[in-house]
Amino acid sequence: MRPSLVRLGGRSAWKGALTAKKSPVCFLIPTAGPYFVAFPNLREARENGEAIKTQARSCTILPNFVGLKFEIHNGKHYIPLMVTDKMVGHKLGEFAPTRKPFSYKCVARNVLEAIC
Amino acid sequence: MFVLGVNLPDNHLVWRALRSFYGLNYHTGKQVCARFQIHLKCRVSELSNTQLAALGAFLSSPATAAPPLRCRRAGIDEQSAVPLSAAPPAPERARGRDVLRELKLESEGRRVIRENIAHHREIGTYVGRRHAMHLPVRGQKTKRNARTAARLNRIDRRGFATWCVPFGLELGPSSAR
Repeated sequence: MRPSLVRLGGRSAWKGALTAKKSPVCFLIPTAGPYFVAFPNLREARENGEAIKTQARSCTILPNFVGLKFEIHNGKHYIPLMVTDKMVGHKLGEFAPTRKPFSYKCVARNVLEAIC
Repeated sequence: MFVLGVNLPDNHLVWRALRSFYGLNYHTGKQVCARFQIHLKCRVSELSNTQLAALGAFLSSPATAAPPLRCRRAGIDEQSAVPLSAAPPAPERARGRDVLRELKLESEGRRVIRENIAHHREIGTYVGRRHAMHLPVRGQKTKRNARTAARLNRIDRRGFATWCVPFGLELGPSSAR
């Protein structure tokens, strides 16, 4: 779940909090675990083979998500995704691109003249 | 001076010249120098054969290189009667992580980078897609320029270091990476 902002010290959730920890080199190192969202319908989805529809793009893919189907929001549509074991540790949002690739659309000459 | 086929310019400081190796920067170059007790004013031409051999042995495989020599510490080891060679080795945990052992140099470093990109491409992340399109990966603008990404971002990434393409294998200026 989302840790409190005080604990994060103003850092974004995906980076985790910085806390002083004893180590050979005394640095502030991130100690918070991965950010993830609880899916109440996880068990049902596994049994029924249904896709989990979610907008939680920043949710880390956990090992127990492997084999599940997700539908990840990209701002407009829900992009289907089948989670494999290589995806563990990545975020759900990495698999649902939010931008539409540019493609040049040729405008017919007569239409162009009509506009201008 | 050639070490493992990499040219270290003779008149350069050693810790700077080590940057000729793919995977070593100024910081790690200084660390390597410290490991082999090469002072920071030392030039490449001033290196002894023993030092060159030691450097070559380390840089050829940092992961399997011998652990650093334990040195007599002023004021601590001088007073103890135990000879240095008989001093018990420090336990693994107390020594901490040896960053120099984790160095990935030259072809190994390039391979790691290529594998990381291929991993993203295989699982179909946004990062992998952007690499395949030769476009910036981390949200930079692409309205104009983005030349660095066009040169570097590709599935089979070559890496930075200047190496010669074998004669006859060059693919022409349009496909220059």
